[in-house]
Parts: sequence; structure tokens; C-alpha cells
Amino acid sequence: MVEINNITIKKAHEGLKDKSFSSLELTEEIFKVAANSESVLHAHLVLMHDEAVKKAKETDSRIAKDGMIGELDGIPLSIKDNMNLKGYGTTCSSKILSNYISPYDATVVKRLRENGTIFVGKTNLDEFAMGSSTENSAYGPTKNPWDPDCVPGGSSGGSAAVVSVGSALGSLGSDTGGSIRQPASFCGVVGFKPTYGTVSRFGLIAFASSLDQIGPITKTSEDAKIIYNAISGYDSKDATSLNLKSASLPEDSSAKVGIVKELMGEGIADDVKSEVERVIKILEEEGHQVSEVSLPMTKMAISIYYLIAPAECSANLARFDGVRFGLRKDGNTSYEMSDKTRAEGFGDEVKRRILLGTYALSAGYYDAYYGQALKARNQVVNEFKEVFKSVDYLISPTTPSTAFKFGEKTTNPLEMYMSDLCTIPANLAGLPAISIPTGIDDNGMPFSIQLMSPELTDISLLNFSSYIEKIIAFDQVPSKWRKEP
Amino acid sequence: MPEDFDIQEIAKLASIELNKDELKRLHKELEIILEHVEALSNIKLGDSDITIHPLGIDLTLRDDKVEEGLSHDESISNAPDRKDGYFKVPPSMD
Amino acid sequence: MKVYPTIGMETHVELKTESKMFCACKVEETESPNTNLCPTCLGLPGSLPVPNKKAIEMITLLGISLDCEITKNGMFHRKNYFYPDLPKNYQISQFDFPIGVNGKLQIVSENELSDIEIERVHMEEDTGKSIHAGGGRIDTAEYTLLDFNRSGIPLVEIVTKPVISNAKQAVSYIEELRQLVIDIDISHAKLELGNLRFDANISVASKDEKELGVKVEIKNMNSLKSLERAIDYEIERQGDLKEKNEKIVQETRHWDEKLEKTISMRTKEGSADYRYFSDPDIPNMNLTKDFIDSVVKNPPELPKDRRERYVASGLSLEEASHIVKSDKWVRELFEDMKINVENIRSAYLWVTGELLGQLRKLNIENKPEHLRGDNFGELISLVDEGEVSSSTGKEILSELIQRDFSPKDYAESNNLIQENSEEYINNLILKVLDSHHEIVERIKLGEDKLVGFLVGEVMKESSASLNPSLVRELIAKETK
Repeated sequence: MVEINNITIKKAHEGLKDKSFSSLELTEEIFKVAANSESVLHAHLVLMHDEAVKKAKETDSRIAKDGMIGELDGIPLSIKDNMNLKGYGTTCSSKILSNYISPYDATVVKRLRENGTIFVGKTNLDEFAMGSSTENSAYGPTKNPWDPDCVPGGSSGGSAAVVSVGSALGSLGSDTGGSIRQPASFCGVVGFKPTYGTVSRFGLIAFASSLDQIGPITKTSEDAKIIYNAISGYDSKDATSLNLKSASLPEDSSAKVGIVKELMGEGIADDVKSEVERVIKILEEEGHQVSEVSLPMTKMAISIYYLIAPAECSANLARFDGVRFGLRKDGNTSYEMSDKTRAEGFGDEVKRRILLGTYALSAGYYDAYYGQALKARNQVVNEFKEVFKSVDYLISPTTPSTAFKFGEKTTNPLEMYMSDLCTIPANLAGLPAISIPTGIDDNGMPFSIQLMSPELTDISLLNFSSYIEKIIAFDQVPSKWRKEP
Repeated sequence: MPEDFDIQEIAKLASIELNKDELKRLHKELEIILEHVEALSNIKLGDSDITIHPLGIDLTLRDDKVEEGLSHDESISNAPDRKDGYFKVPPSMD
Repeated sequence: MKVYPTIGMETHVELKTESKMFCACKVEETESPNTNLCPTCLGLPGSLPVPNKKAIEMITLLGISLDCEITKNGMFHRKNYFYPDLPKNYQISQFDFPIGVNGKLQIVSENELSDIEIERVHMEEDTGKSIHAGGGRIDTAEYTLLDFNRSGIPLVEIVTKPVISNAKQAVSYIEELRQLVIDIDISHAKLELGNLRFDANISVASKDEKELGVKVEIKNMNSLKSLERAIDYEIERQGDLKEKNEKIVQETRHWDEKLEKTISMRTKEGSADYRYFSDPDIPNMNLTKDFIDSVVKNPPELPKDRRERYVASGLSLEEASHIVKSDKWVRELFEDMKINVENIRSAYLWVTGELLGQLRKLNIENKPEHLRGDNFGELISLVDEGEVSSSTGKEILSELIQRDFSPKDYAESNNLIQENSEEYINNLILKVLDSHHEIVERIKLGEDKLVGFLVGEVMKESSASLNPSLVRELIAKETK
């Protein structure tokens, strides 16, 4: 018999198959947790209870027929509210989309539907996925289940928090500069950013087109693999989608691991460094060859990112003008209407990035800023290629520190941007990267490590990550959120 | 170089109306960020081909076939204002 | 003051693909607004563009037909500006790597051949349509209505170098370009439907000025007539300003059809900042040799080659140009006739003159079903060889338009064949002359008009049809 509490997707599937519980029971349990946690955490923007119950009953009839169900059939997952789910609102946690109802499904949503997935609800994020703490949500922040005075990370803060408390068995997040991995790290769960192009972006509301990727947030790497297998694969609706074969790497103790020198130095908290070193020691004891590698361009990663991402987003967010959907503020002319709508509808961080991006692309400044950033990005890609000639995987901290407190990093924008130091490089190079929880710090906040691997080695990375998980055996769950009134 | 950007001009290009306080604040914030990225502008980087896709793949073109899209009702379902099946906006001067 | 105008033309051609440029919505001329849409062409959040293969094949064929260098590394760029009929508030276009550059188009203007240099040919998407309601003109509208059916239709932009020197040349250029895109089957190119639209850039310089003058863009010319008038007007307007030593402002002006003048739009001096950057949603287009070879596998005949061929077979340049620009069925019928008729000019005149004239009177626009090279050709040969008179020929043609038959058989059975034997005619002539001595004398003394009377008498005498010009010729000989 499988216990329904705090289970993984894999275990839930076993439980459904051997009839330890029904899909309806599982779903109701999930919604119970949601009911108990939402007032404290504010992780979901909307809950889809009725629809979920309907789908759960469908799963149960499928089980009743021949007991053959797919790995995600009847599994309750949550979706970050920047992915279109037909018939429901997609707000991107912004005022400008407060009344927008999606008339179509994102490809990933469609694929999950086809697998019988049950949608619990849409989760909170930093507005338009811009931020590292979910403090930029126009609908209020999400709290970290390990300590509600701390941020859950961002931009997929809601998606990470729900998995952490169990109000969904897994969730989809999106990662542009670390937005899956960093909140997963802060919330003590697994966050996986796939190789750029392996998961369709069709239906994901774009922030930075050449950096965005959708990925799973789960309790285990194995669960992440289950979701990844369902959502990945070529999509003709996304021209950046890949139709290439995956490559494999050693997934056992023969795997060579490299420590990124530049991500273990300045800007990284001492306790985070120690935790990574602890894990490295364990790997060495297991027989892994561990060496130090250098990615010098990493020092420029934040600058490169904060030119490319805002530039792309300034164009991606131009369509929010009050003409065809969303918020509209009246004006005497259409220009006035657009100017006022965008002034009212966008939050500060979004405005900041749009203006920065507009400037970086403007006449006379293109070469020095955006043009330069593109060249530098090429160099990042090449450095990784070089380094992967001698190692299979790279290890680093996911974040410079464990979860920080609300308001701690909001005095100047640069401070917040610095928290993306370790995660940005993988987005720039389009490489797969995963964050897995490894321990707890002195304040009871989770530690994590990040693993990166070459393009198209997603499955190997997930398997290797799973193997490390088993060795480290981190099994703690947050409890502080329960004590909140 | 960061000092000489015209925040008002940029806001106009981005179609965002900003009041005096916002203009001042955003100018300062952008200055801070631009100062940081300045270091990147000063590195000498050779000329390289622009690759759109981080993995450098080539485009796969789409066959010229018609597929069903949104119905008329779905298309205008989110329109803030409409008339006779059109989207309606204040006059758009050329 | 005599000024020397320099004109460059910017033309947009809608491609006749089944689906739109970046999505699979139907390309269709329709009255109902907002019926052919999807998240991509409506610019909904989360949508993505995927380029249309057929459109790329078509523009590549156009580039090759214009003798352009075809890029190996095609790239799309985002052209950023805010306007309500532009759903994403950026247009996907091409900036530094257009599909084709440095081509040329041969035109015929005022009976002279010349090559117009083409700067670039690039791919982009069309915008939606704006209807300014309330005041009629843009600047007095109360509100604007938007229809996005046209949004995303594939558009090719062709830009010439500033090498056109007068309005007539500009018109000839558009006519030739239009014929080209029709002949290579990439566009319907109907001006009245907006399938082909053009703007002109005009500047003037005085005799001693070496540099080009200030460039003014003229928009809103909806026909070739307005193109010609607008250019002529603008050249004069700029010339006047120059003469008075007044400044010519670099701006965009609209051609007002009613007032017959160009009118200044909101003066935005200098050019807009479009902040072009390569579109991260669309990877590089690698146009391989194989791809290009497949596009030109069975190349269609270009208007200029066709023109050359006709001139070589005996038409004048003007005649050849005329037929090349005619409707496809007219041209095809003419081609068919060329095989069946000895005299190509005859074929040309009959097809473009008599046939089209008769059809116009009957309000028929398309080819009469039964009319082919063989039967029409047979008719023309009858006339050319003098077997029937040309007026009889025209009558037979009017029948042939209605039904199918052999003109020769018809003429024979209806006794329309002219007797052309000189012996027979001469016998009749002698008989007639014999009974009209005084008239003959008067003709000999110079009253040539009376020859006609004698021709009539000879015709009356004859039981068979006679070729009147032959009769007249023979009478003239006898009465010399």
C-alpha cells in the first residue's frame, strides 16, 4: 500500500495502479493541502478544483477499465501562470493581463492533457518572469514554506512552493536566467532546466526568447524525468524547437565532474561553498574523478544576460498595448491609450527592463551593448564546449546564498540580479542544468547544488542527478509554514 | 556613456508614459545597471557570425498548408472594445 | 528652373501562398473581419512564428528572376514600432541579410529598353487593416476599426536604387515588375485588391549639383495613373521650392487623389528608430545550393525574354511589350497563333486589335472557349492570302467567338471566297470598261474618284466575291 501523504509522482503512479487510492482521493488530498497552505503561502493564483475532480474521475474510469495508465495519468500538477491554459486566465502575475482568458493551450499543457494530467491550478510568479524572489508579482508575493519571512525565490516562486508543501505533486516552471533552479533551491526541491529547444515554448508567454525554457519542479530527479519525457520533443509550432537525437554520458561513478572555479569564489556565501565541498567529497569517496575547471566568461555572465534578456523582452512585451486583449486605459488617440495602458499595467521591474532593453537596441548604442553581448555570449558557449572535453558534468552552487528575507534585496536592482550569478551561464549556452537539495543551513533553510552537462544530454543529467540524490538522501520537508496563523 | 541617455526618449520609443518622479528614479536605476554592464563594452571581442539559436541549428521551414486557427468569437473574445466584429481603438493617427 | 529628378521605387507584393507567412491561417480575400486568425497572426501572448517554405521559394525565384545575388545566410529581423494594426508592435522583416541584393529589371519606357537596378528584395509580413471611422480622413477620425485577416500575409519588398528619372519610367517599372510576378506565378498582383502596392522616393537636383537632393517619400498612390500624376506633381513642387531657394523638407507625403496634390503628413524629420535585431524566434535560414536549384528547376519564361523572342520573330518593341503585358490568355492565344500564321504582325493585330475590340463590345473579359490558334489562325490566313476580304474576316470572327467551326469551310459554303484570279477579274473589267467609255476618259483626265464607281460595277457583275483592292488595282492599271 502506498501512503498518500507527501509522495512522489512515481509513488503516486504505483499507488494508483495497485489501487492503494483512487485518483479522486489523491486529488482531494492535494486540494486539502492547498486549502491548508494557501492562506499562508499564496502560491497559487487560481485553483481549478472542479475541473480537477472531473479529470480525476476520468482517470479512475480508465483504471477501472484495464488498469493500464500512463505515468502522469491522474497526477495533480500545477502550472506557472505564464503558460496558456485554454479557458482560464493567464496573468503572468501582471495587472496588464488581469482579465485575459487564454483561447488556446500551450503545447506543454496540451501534452500533459494528453497524458491524463490533472491541473491543480496556476502558480504565482514574478511579473512576466522577471525577478528572483516573486516579490515582483502584482498579486502579492509567495512565502517560502521553510520560513514564511523568506522569499521562495523567483521567478517560479509559486511553482516551487507548491511542490515543497505538497499542494501539487510537481509543477511546471520557466527558466530564463535561473527561474526554475533558484526557487527550487530556496524551497528545497528539484528544479530542472532542459537543453534549450527540447521543450516547446509555444504558449509560454515570452520573456527572453533565446533564453526561456519550460521545465519541471519536483521532489525527485526521477519525477522530473517523468514530466520531461511527457513535455519534451519537437514541436512544429516552435521554430527553435529541436529535432535532434539526445546524447548520453556516464551516469555512475565513472562520470568525471568539474568544479567551476569562478562560481566558488567571490560573491558566494561561505556556508554555500562548504555545502558544495561536502557534496564533492562524497563524490570523490564514491570514486568520481573531480577536477577544477575554469569558465572565465562567467564573470561577465550577468552583464551579458542583462543586455540580451531586456532587449528581447522589450520587443516581446510590446504587444501589450490594450488593443486586442488585456488591460486598457483610455486615451484620445491609440498612442495615448497604449502609453497609459502600459504605464499602469506594468510593474517597476518590468518597466526597468523594457527601458533598459529599448536603450540597448537603440540607434547608436546597438554595437556597444546588444551587439557586444551577442559576441560575448558566443564566447560563453565556446568556453563550455572546451571544458566539456575533459569532464562529463559540472558542479556548482545553484545560488550565492540560501533563501533571503523579504525586502532584503530590493534597495537596488543590481543586488537582486547578482543572485542569478550561478544559473545564468547555462541559459546563455542553452545547456541543461538541474538543482537538487542537499541539506539544511543553520537557519533551517535548504542548501542545494547545481549540475550542468552538455547540450542534449538531458536524460543522462537527470539519471546522474538521481544517482547523487540517492547517495545524499535528503528527505526533509518544511514545517514552519504550518505554524503560521 | 551611461550619462547621456535620454530616459524620456526611451520611454517614448517603448510607449510607456512616465511621470516626473518615475523618470528621475528610472534614470538613476538604469544608470546603476549600465555602469555595471559598461565593463562588457570595454572587452575586445573578435567578430563572429551571429547565431540566433544557442545550439546553432538551422531553420526548418513550414509546409504551405492551411490549418484551423481561432474562431471569430475566440479571436475577439478578449477585445477591450469592439464593433461589428472589428477591434475598436481610439483614432490611430498616422 | 530645370531640375533633374531622381526616383526610387519601393514595392510590396503579396504572395499567393495558401497559408500566411508565419502561421497556417488561410490567405484569403474576405469581407468578414477577423475570421482567419490564430494566436500567431493575432499577436497573442505565447505565440511563435514559423516561416512558410513556399513563400521562401517564391521570393528566391523572384530574386533569381531579378538577377540578384541570393544570400546564403537568411535571417529575419524584428522591426520595432508601435501601431494598432501591427499585432506584436514589431514586424518580422529582414534587415542586413535580405534574400536578394544587387539585381536588375529590364523595362521598356517610351520605346527604349533600359535596366533598372534593384537594391534589395526581402521577405516580411503584412499588417492588419485600419478603417478610420467618423471623419473619413485619418486626421478627423473618431475611432479606428481593426481587421487582422491581412496580418501575417507574406509580403515581398523590392527596392530599386535611385535610378529612375521620370514618371513614365516609374510606371513602366511597375508594369514590368507586376508582369514579372504574375508570370513567375508568385502573386495575383491586382492593384485594386492591394496585392501590389508602391511608394516613390523623389528628390531633385539642379544642373550643377552633384549630390542627390533631399528625399521625399510619396505614399497612397493606388493606381498607375496616380503614380504618374503624383510623381509629376512632386517634381514640380520640389522644383518650385528649389527655384525660390526654399528648403525641401525630408518627409513623407500622401497623394491626395481628389485634390491632385501631395500633402504633408505629420512631419517627423529624420528616420524612425526601428531598433532592428535578429529575431530570436527564428533560427538562421540556410539557403543551400540544392534548395536554390530546386526553385529554378523549370524556370518560367520572364517577360523580358518573351519580349526578346517576339522582337526576334518580327514584332516591333512596342508591339512586343504590349503583348507581353496582356492577360495571360491573350498572350497564350497569340503564341498559339504564331505557329499557325505566317505573318506574326498580322496575328498580333488581329488578337490585340479586332478580337479584343469585339470582346469589349460584348462585355466579355475571358477567352472565348472555342477560339484557338488553329481556327483563328486559319481565318487570318484566309484574309492575309486575300481569299476573303478583311471586312468579311471580321464578320467570320464574330461568329467564331460564339461557336467552333472551320473558317475555310464556312467561307466556302457561304460563298465568301473572293475570286482572285486576275484573268477572271480582267475579263469582267474589260466588259465594264467597255460600257463606261466616258467615265474611263474622265479617269484618264484625272478624276480618280470615279475608279470607285467602276470597282462597284465590276463587283456587281461578278458572281463570286471579289477582293476589292485587287479589282481597284487592276482597273487602275487599265485606265492609266
